[in-house]
Amino acid sequence: MTTLYLVLVGVLMGNIAIGLIRILRGPTVADRMLAAEFFGTVTVAIILLLAIAMDKSVYYDVALVFALLSALAVVAFVTRGWPDRKSGEQEDERG
Amino acid sequence: MVLFDLILGLLLVVLVQKCLSVTDLFGAVISFMAFGLLMAVAWVRLEAPDIALAEAAIGSGLTGALLFSTLGRLPHSEARQPIASRTVGSGPGYWLAAGFWWVSIMLLSVAFFLSLLELQAPGLGGYLQERLSESGVLNPVTAVLLNFRSLDTVMEIAVLLLAVAVVWSLGTVGWPAKQKLSLPLLVGLVRLLTPVFLLVAFSLLWRGNHAPGGAFPSGAVLAAASILLLLAGKTIRIYPLTMFWLRWVLAAGLLVFVLAGMSLMFAGYGFLVYPEQWAGTMILIIEVSAGVSIGAMLMALYIGGEPDFHAG
Repeated sequence: MTTLYLVLVGVLMGNIAIGLIRILRGPTVADRMLAAEFFGTVTVAIILLLAIAMDKSVYYDVALVFALLSALAVVAFVTRGWPDRKSGEQEDERG
Repeated sequence: MVLFDLILGLLLVVLVQKCLSVTDLFGAVISFMAFGLLMAVAWVRLEAPDIALAEAAIGSGLTGALLFSTLGRLPHSEARQPIASRTVGSGPGYWLAAGFWWVSIMLLSVAFFLSLLELQAPGLGGYLQERLSESGVLNPVTAVLLNFRSLDTVMEIAVLLLAVAVVWSLGTVGWPAKQKLSLPLLVGLVRLLTPVFLLVAFSLLWRGNHAPGGAFPSGAVLAAASILLLLAGKTIRIYPLTMFWLRWVLAAGLLVFVLAGMSLMFAGYGFLVYPEQWAGTMILIIEVSAGVSIGAMLMALYIGGEPDFHAG
Protein backbone atom coordinates (compact mmCIF):
# COMPACT_ATOMS: atom_id res chain seq x y z
CA MET A 1 0.00 0.00 0.00
CA THR A 2 2.84 2.38 0.86
CA THR A 3 4.29 2.01 -2.63
CA LEU A 4 0.97 3.06 -4.12
CA TYR A 5 0.92 6.18 -1.94
CA LEU A 6 4.45 7.09 -2.91
CA VAL A 7 3.64 6.65 -6.60
CA LEU A 8 0.62 8.91 -6.11
CA VAL A 9 2.84 11.50 -4.44
CA GLY A 10 5.08 11.36 -7.50
CA VAL A 11 2.11 11.89 -9.83
CA LEU A 12 0.94 14.87 -7.76
CA MET A 13 4.46 16.31 -7.85
CA GLY A 14 4.27 16.10 -11.64
CA ASN A 15 1.00 18.06 -11.43
CA ILE A 16 2.81 20.78 -9.53
CA ALA A 17 5.61 20.87 -12.08
CA ILE A 18 3.06 21.38 -14.87
CA GLY A 19 1.10 23.92 -12.83
CA LEU A 20 4.32 25.87 -12.49
CA ILE A 21 4.02 26.80 -16.17
CA ARG A 22 0.81 28.72 -15.41
CA ILE A 23 2.47 30.46 -12.47
CA LEU A 24 5.48 31.53 -14.50
CA ARG A 25 3.67 32.38 -17.75
CA GLY A 26 0.24 33.59 -16.71
CA PRO A 27 -0.97 35.17 -18.96
CA THR A 28 -3.62 36.82 -16.74
CA VAL A 29 -3.41 37.36 -12.99
CA ALA A 30 -6.43 35.08 -12.46
CA ASP A 31 -4.58 32.19 -14.15
CA ARG A 32 -1.68 32.67 -11.78
CA MET A 33 -3.89 32.91 -8.72
CA LEU A 34 -5.80 29.76 -9.66
CA ALA A 35 -2.53 27.93 -10.24
CA ALA A 36 -1.37 29.01 -6.78
CA GLU A 37 -4.62 27.73 -5.28
CA PHE A 38 -4.12 24.50 -7.20
CA PHE A 39 -0.67 24.26 -5.64
CA GLY A 40 -2.32 24.60 -2.24
CA THR A 41 -4.80 21.79 -2.90
CA VAL A 42 -2.15 19.47 -4.32
CA THR A 43 0.17 20.26 -1.41
CA VAL A 44 -2.52 19.26 1.09
CA ALA A 45 -2.96 15.97 -0.79
CA ILE A 46 0.80 15.34 -0.87
CA ILE A 47 1.17 16.02 2.85
CA LEU A 48 -1.76 13.71 3.67
CA LEU A 49 -0.30 10.92 1.52
CA LEU A 50 3.14 11.39 3.09
CA ALA A 51 1.53 11.30 6.55
CA ILE A 52 -0.05 7.93 5.75
CA ALA A 53 3.07 6.58 4.05
CA MET A 54 5.39 7.61 6.89
CA ASP A 55 2.76 6.70 9.50
CA LYS A 56 3.01 10.05 11.29
CA SER A 57 -0.35 11.44 12.36
CA VAL A 58 1.28 14.79 13.26
CA TYR A 59 1.24 15.85 9.63
CA TYR A 60 -2.57 15.76 9.48
CA ASP A 61 -2.42 18.99 11.49
CA VAL A 62 -0.07 20.56 8.98
CA ALA A 63 -2.49 19.63 6.19
CA LEU A 64 -5.40 21.09 8.19
CA VAL A 65 -3.65 24.41 8.75
CA PHE A 66 -2.72 24.48 5.05
CA ALA A 67 -6.28 23.89 3.93
CA LEU A 68 -7.56 26.68 6.18
CA LEU A 69 -4.88 29.20 5.29
CA SER A 70 -5.17 28.71 1.53
CA ALA A 71 -8.64 30.25 1.79
CA LEU A 72 -7.06 33.40 3.20
CA ALA A 73 -4.78 33.99 0.21
CA VAL A 74 -7.57 33.80 -2.36
CA VAL A 75 -9.84 36.06 -0.30
CA ALA A 76 -7.05 38.60 0.01
CA PHE A 77 -6.52 38.40 -3.75
CA VAL A 78 -10.19 38.91 -4.58
CA THR A 79 -10.80 41.78 -2.18
CA ARG A 80 -7.48 43.63 -2.45
CA GLY A 81 -5.39 42.44 -5.36
CA TRP A 82 -8.07 42.13 -8.05
CA PRO A 83 -7.52 44.73 -10.77
CA ASP A 84 -10.10 47.49 -10.79
CA ARG A 85 -12.45 46.90 -13.75
CA LYS A 86 -13.39 50.53 -14.23
CA SER A 87 -9.96 52.08 -14.56
CA GLY A 88 -7.77 49.27 -15.85
CA GLU A 89 -7.69 48.15 -19.45
CA GLN A 90 -7.78 44.48 -20.30
CA GLU A 91 -4.28 44.74 -21.77
CA ASP A 92 -2.99 45.91 -18.43
CA GLU A 93 -3.51 42.53 -16.86
CA ARG A 94 -1.21 40.76 -19.24
CA GLY A 95 2.20 40.19 -17.86
CA MET B 1 11.94 9.02 -2.68
CA VAL B 2 15.31 10.53 -3.62
CA LEU B 3 13.82 11.42 -7.00
CA PHE B 4 10.88 13.17 -5.31
CA ASP B 5 13.25 15.18 -3.13
CA LEU B 6 15.34 16.16 -6.13
CA ILE B 7 12.29 17.39 -8.05
CA LEU B 8 11.11 19.28 -4.96
CA GLY B 9 14.50 20.94 -4.54
CA LEU B 10 14.64 21.88 -8.21
CA LEU B 11 11.12 23.39 -8.14
CA LEU B 12 12.06 25.41 -5.06
CA VAL B 13 15.11 26.80 -6.81
CA VAL B 14 13.07 27.72 -9.90
CA LEU B 15 10.50 29.51 -7.75
CA VAL B 16 13.14 31.43 -5.79
CA GLN B 17 14.76 32.51 -9.03
CA LYS B 18 11.41 33.71 -10.37
CA CYS B 19 10.61 35.45 -7.10
CA LEU B 20 13.90 37.36 -6.99
CA SER B 21 14.18 38.33 -10.64
CA VAL B 22 11.09 40.50 -10.40
CA THR B 23 9.85 41.79 -13.68
CA ASP B 24 6.31 42.20 -12.42
CA LEU B 25 5.31 42.43 -8.78
CA PHE B 26 2.28 40.18 -9.03
CA GLY B 27 4.33 37.33 -10.46
CA ALA B 28 6.84 37.73 -7.64
CA VAL B 29 4.10 37.58 -5.00
CA ILE B 30 2.54 34.48 -6.54
CA SER B 31 5.93 32.79 -6.81
CA PHE B 32 6.61 33.61 -3.18
CA MET B 33 3.33 32.00 -2.11
CA ALA B 34 3.98 28.89 -4.19
CA PHE B 35 7.48 28.78 -2.71
CA GLY B 36 5.98 28.85 0.80
CA LEU B 37 3.68 25.94 -0.06
CA LEU B 38 6.46 23.77 -1.46
CA MET B 39 8.82 24.76 1.35
CA ALA B 40 6.33 23.33 3.84
CA VAL B 41 6.37 20.04 1.90
CA ALA B 42 10.16 20.13 2.13
CA TRP B 43 9.93 20.56 5.92
CA VAL B 44 7.54 17.61 6.07
CA ARG B 45 10.08 15.54 4.11
CA LEU B 46 12.78 16.63 6.57
CA GLU B 47 10.49 15.44 9.39
CA ALA B 48 10.27 18.84 11.06
CA PRO B 49 6.51 19.18 11.68
CA ASP B 50 6.84 22.26 13.90
CA ILE B 51 8.57 24.27 11.20
CA ALA B 52 6.15 22.90 8.58
CA LEU B 53 3.25 24.21 10.67
CA ALA B 54 4.82 27.63 11.06
CA GLU B 55 5.66 27.78 7.35
CA ALA B 56 2.12 26.74 6.39
CA ALA B 57 0.55 29.35 8.64
CA ILE B 58 2.92 32.29 8.30
CA GLY B 59 4.99 31.64 5.19
CA SER B 60 2.27 31.16 2.62
CA GLY B 61 -1.02 32.18 4.27
CA LEU B 62 -0.44 35.35 6.26
CA THR B 63 2.43 36.71 4.19
CA GLY B 64 0.49 36.07 0.99
CA ALA B 65 -2.48 38.05 2.31
CA LEU B 66 -0.18 40.83 3.49
CA LEU B 67 1.58 41.08 0.11
CA PHE B 68 -1.72 41.09 -1.80
CA SER B 69 -3.05 43.89 0.35
CA THR B 70 0.17 45.81 -0.24
CA LEU B 71 -0.24 45.33 -4.00
CA GLY B 72 -3.82 46.56 -3.72
CA ARG B 73 -2.65 49.75 -2.02
CA LEU B 74 -0.10 50.59 -4.68
CA PRO B 75 -1.29 52.84 -7.50
CA HIS B 76 -2.73 50.75 -10.30
CA SER B 77 -0.08 51.42 -12.94
CA GLU B 78 2.81 51.06 -10.52
CA ALA B 79 1.69 47.62 -9.37
CA ARG B 80 1.36 46.27 -12.89
CA GLN B 81 4.36 47.77 -14.56
CA PRO B 82 7.58 45.83 -14.90
CA ILE B 83 10.24 47.23 -12.59
CA ALA B 84 13.09 46.85 -15.04
CA SER B 85 13.40 45.36 -18.45
CA ARG B 86 15.28 42.09 -18.56
CA THR B 87 18.71 42.36 -20.04
CA VAL B 88 19.83 39.43 -22.12
CA GLY B 89 23.34 38.40 -23.00
CA SER B 90 25.51 40.72 -20.95
CA GLY B 91 25.51 43.21 -18.12
CA PRO B 92 25.24 42.64 -14.36
CA GLY B 93 21.76 41.07 -14.66
CA TYR B 94 23.09 38.28 -16.83
CA TRP B 95 25.99 37.52 -14.50
CA LEU B 96 23.71 37.60 -11.45
CA ALA B 97 21.37 35.08 -13.09
CA ALA B 98 24.25 32.88 -14.21
CA GLY B 99 25.81 33.02 -10.74
CA PHE B 100 22.49 32.17 -9.13
CA TRP B 101 22.02 29.07 -11.25
CA TRP B 102 25.64 28.00 -10.82
CA VAL B 103 25.53 28.29 -7.01
CA SER B 104 22.16 26.57 -6.70
CA ILE B 105 23.15 23.68 -8.97
CA MET B 106 26.35 23.23 -6.94
CA LEU B 107 24.41 23.28 -3.66
CA LEU B 108 21.81 20.83 -4.97
CA SER B 109 24.46 18.38 -6.14
CA VAL B 110 26.35 18.65 -2.83
CA ALA B 111 23.07 17.99 -0.99
CA PHE B 112 22.39 15.04 -3.28
CA PHE B 113 25.77 13.42 -2.61
CA LEU B 114 25.46 14.08 1.13
CA SER B 115 22.11 12.32 1.10
CA LEU B 116 23.81 9.23 -0.33
CA LEU B 117 26.20 9.06 2.63
CA GLU B 118 24.85 7.84 5.95
CA LEU B 119 25.89 10.72 8.17
CA GLN B 120 25.67 10.70 11.94
CA ALA B 121 22.93 13.07 13.11
CA PRO B 122 24.76 15.79 15.03
CA GLY B 123 23.29 18.25 17.48
CA LEU B 124 21.78 18.35 20.91
CA GLY B 125 18.84 16.00 20.33
CA GLY B 126 20.24 13.31 22.61
CA TYR B 127 20.79 15.64 25.58
CA LEU B 128 17.33 17.10 25.06
CA GLN B 129 15.63 13.68 25.18
CA GLU B 130 17.54 12.86 28.38
CA ARG B 131 16.31 15.96 30.19
CA LEU B 132 12.83 16.18 28.66
CA SER B 133 11.20 14.85 31.83
CA GLU B 134 12.47 17.90 33.78
CA SER B 135 10.83 20.37 31.42
CA GLY B 136 7.18 19.75 32.35
CA VAL B 137 6.08 19.17 28.72
CA LEU B 138 6.30 16.18 26.40
CA ASN B 139 7.08 17.93 23.11
CA PRO B 140 10.83 18.59 22.76
CA VAL B 141 10.34 21.75 20.66
CA THR B 142 8.03 23.32 23.25
CA ALA B 143 10.49 22.30 25.95
CA VAL B 144 13.25 24.22 24.20
CA LEU B 145 11.10 27.23 23.30
CA LEU B 146 9.43 27.77 26.66
CA ASN B 147 11.75 26.18 29.18
CA PHE B 148 15.38 25.61 28.28
CA ARG B 149 15.73 28.62 25.97
CA SER B 150 12.74 30.65 27.11
CA LEU B 151 14.76 33.88 27.14
CA ASP B 152 14.95 33.70 23.33
CA THR B 153 11.17 33.38 23.12
CA VAL B 154 10.71 36.42 25.42
CA MET B 155 12.88 38.40 23.05
CA GLU B 156 10.96 37.19 19.99
CA ILE B 157 7.68 38.35 21.50
CA ALA B 158 9.30 41.65 22.51
CA VAL B 159 10.51 42.18 18.92
CA LEU B 160 7.01 41.50 17.59
CA LEU B 161 5.52 43.99 20.06
CA LEU B 162 8.14 46.55 19.08
CA ALA B 163 7.25 46.05 15.42
CA VAL B 164 3.58 46.70 16.21
CA ALA B 165 4.50 49.86 18.11
CA VAL B 166 6.59 51.11 15.18
CA VAL B 167 3.89 50.31 12.58
CA TRP B 168 1.18 51.97 14.66
CA SER B 169 3.31 55.05 15.18
CA LEU B 170 3.60 55.51 11.40
CA GLY B 171 0.01 56.64 11.05
CA THR B 172 -3.64 55.87 11.52
CA VAL B 173 -5.99 53.76 9.46
CA GLY B 174 -9.62 54.65 9.01
CA TRP B 175 -11.89 52.32 10.95
CA PRO B 176 -14.12 50.51 10.04
CA ALA B 177 -12.31 49.80 6.77
CA LYS B 178 -14.17 50.74 3.61
CA GLN B 179 -15.33 47.82 1.50
CA LYS B 180 -15.15 48.43 -2.22
CA LEU B 181 -16.85 45.21 -3.33
CA SER B 182 -19.90 43.51 -1.90
CA LEU B 183 -19.45 39.75 -2.04
CA PRO B 184 -22.30 37.77 -0.44
CA LEU B 185 -20.49 34.48 -1.00
CA LEU B 186 -17.47 35.73 0.91
CA VAL B 187 -19.58 36.72 3.91
CA GLY B 188 -21.15 33.26 3.99
CA LEU B 189 -17.77 31.57 3.68
CA VAL B 190 -16.32 33.61 6.51
CA ARG B 191 -19.32 32.82 8.68
CA LEU B 192 -18.71 29.10 8.12
CA LEU B 193 -14.92 29.20 8.47
CA THR B 194 -14.41 31.43 11.51
CA PRO B 195 -15.49 28.83 14.12
CA VAL B 196 -13.24 26.26 12.43
CA PHE B 197 -10.29 28.67 12.57
CA LEU B 198 -10.91 29.30 16.27
CA LEU B 199 -11.20 25.58 16.99
CA VAL B 200 -7.97 24.80 15.16
CA ALA B 201 -6.14 27.69 16.83
CA PHE B 202 -7.03 26.58 20.33
CA SER B 203 -6.43 22.92 19.59
CA LEU B 204 -2.93 23.80 18.34
CA LEU B 205 -2.37 25.81 21.50
CA TRP B 206 -3.49 22.96 23.72
CA ARG B 207 -1.52 20.33 21.80
CA GLY B 208 1.65 22.37 22.20
CA ASN B 209 2.77 20.55 25.33
CA HIS B 210 2.71 17.04 23.86
CA ALA B 211 2.79 17.45 20.06
CA PRO B 212 3.86 20.01 17.46
CA GLY B 213 1.83 23.19 17.76
CA GLY B 214 2.11 25.86 20.38
CA ALA B 215 1.90 29.61 20.58
CA PHE B 216 3.28 30.77 17.23
CA PRO B 217 1.24 28.62 14.79
CA SER B 218 -1.85 29.06 16.93
CA GLY B 219 -1.40 32.83 17.01
CA ALA B 220 -0.97 32.82 13.25
CA VAL B 221 -4.22 30.90 12.73
CA LEU B 222 -6.02 33.32 15.09
CA ALA B 223 -4.64 36.27 13.14
CA ALA B 224 -5.72 34.61 9.89
CA ALA B 225 -9.27 34.31 11.21
CA SER B 226 -9.41 37.98 12.14
CA ILE B 227 -7.89 39.06 8.80
CA LEU B 228 -10.53 36.98 7.03
CA LEU B 229 -13.25 38.79 9.00
CA LEU B 230 -11.60 42.09 8.16
CA LEU B 231 -11.44 41.31 4.44
CA ALA B 232 -15.10 40.26 4.40
CA GLY B 233 -16.02 43.60 5.97
CA LYS B 234 -17.21 42.04 9.22
CA THR B 235 -15.45 44.45 11.54
CA ILE B 236 -16.50 45.59 14.95
CA ARG B 237 -17.00 49.19 15.96
CA ILE B 238 -14.10 50.42 18.07
CA TYR B 239 -14.61 52.57 21.17
CA PRO B 240 -11.90 54.11 23.35
CA LEU B 241 -12.46 51.34 25.89
CA THR B 242 -11.90 48.69 23.19
CA MET B 243 -8.58 50.28 22.33
CA PHE B 244 -7.65 50.21 26.01
CA TRP B 245 -8.29 46.47 26.21
CA LEU B 246 -6.68 45.83 22.83
CA ARG B 247 -3.44 47.39 24.07
CA TRP B 248 -3.49 45.12 27.11
CA VAL B 249 -4.08 42.06 24.90
CA LEU B 250 -1.21 43.11 22.64
CA ALA B 251 1.13 43.40 25.60
CA ALA B 252 -0.24 40.37 27.49
CA GLY B 253 2.19 37.81 26.07
CA LEU B 254 5.27 39.79 27.03
CA LEU B 255 3.80 40.94 30.37
CA VAL B 256 2.88 37.43 31.54
CA PHE B 257 6.25 36.09 30.42
CA VAL B 258 8.25 38.80 32.21
CA LEU B 259 6.05 38.71 35.33
CA ALA B 260 6.47 34.94 35.55
CA GLY B 261 10.22 35.34 35.21
CA MET B 262 10.41 38.10 37.82
CA SER B 263 8.26 36.28 40.35
CA LEU B 264 10.42 33.17 39.95
CA MET B 265 13.46 35.37 40.50
CA PHE B 266 12.03 36.75 43.75
CA ALA B 267 11.12 33.21 44.85
CA GLY B 268 14.81 32.41 44.55
CA TYR B 269 14.90 30.28 41.40
CA GLY B 270 16.36 32.70 38.85
CA PHE B 271 14.82 34.37 35.81
CA LEU B 272 12.49 31.84 34.08
CA VAL B 273 13.98 28.84 35.86
CA TYR B 274 10.87 26.85 36.65
CA PRO B 275 10.64 24.60 39.72
CA GLU B 276 10.01 21.10 38.41
CA GLN B 277 6.54 20.53 39.89
CA TRP B 278 5.19 23.85 38.56
CA ALA B 279 6.83 23.80 35.14
CA GLY B 280 3.87 22.31 33.24
CA THR B 281 1.33 24.78 34.64
CA MET B 282 3.52 27.82 34.14
CA ILE B 283 4.33 26.84 30.56
CA LEU B 284 0.62 26.39 29.84
CA ILE B 285 -0.25 29.86 31.22
CA ILE B 286 2.61 31.52 29.34
CA GLU B 287 1.76 29.67 26.15
CA VAL B 288 -1.94 30.61 26.19
CA SER B 289 -1.25 34.29 26.84
CA ALA B 290 1.54 34.33 24.25
CA GLY B 291 -0.67 32.62 21.64
CA VAL B 292 -3.57 35.07 22.03
CA SER B 293 -1.18 37.99 22.14
CA ILE B 294 0.72 36.86 19.03
CA GLY B 295 -2.59 36.55 17.17
CA ALA B 296 -3.51 40.11 18.15
CA MET B 297 -0.06 41.43 17.24
CA LEU B 298 -0.04 39.81 13.78
CA MET B 299 -3.48 41.27 13.12
CA ALA B 300 -2.34 44.69 14.33
CA LEU B 301 0.63 44.47 11.96
CA TYR B 302 -1.70 43.55 9.11
CA ILE B 303 -3.92 46.58 9.71
CA GLY B 304 -0.82 48.67 9.12
CA GLY B 305 -1.55 51.57 11.44
CA GLU B 306 -3.37 52.54 14.58
CA PRO B 307 -7.14 52.13 14.04
CA ASP B 308 -8.71 55.58 13.97
CA PHE B 309 -12.20 55.07 15.35
CA HIS B 310 -13.17 58.74 15.06
CA ALA B 311 -13.27 58.41 11.28
CA GLY B 312 -15.83 55.60 11.22
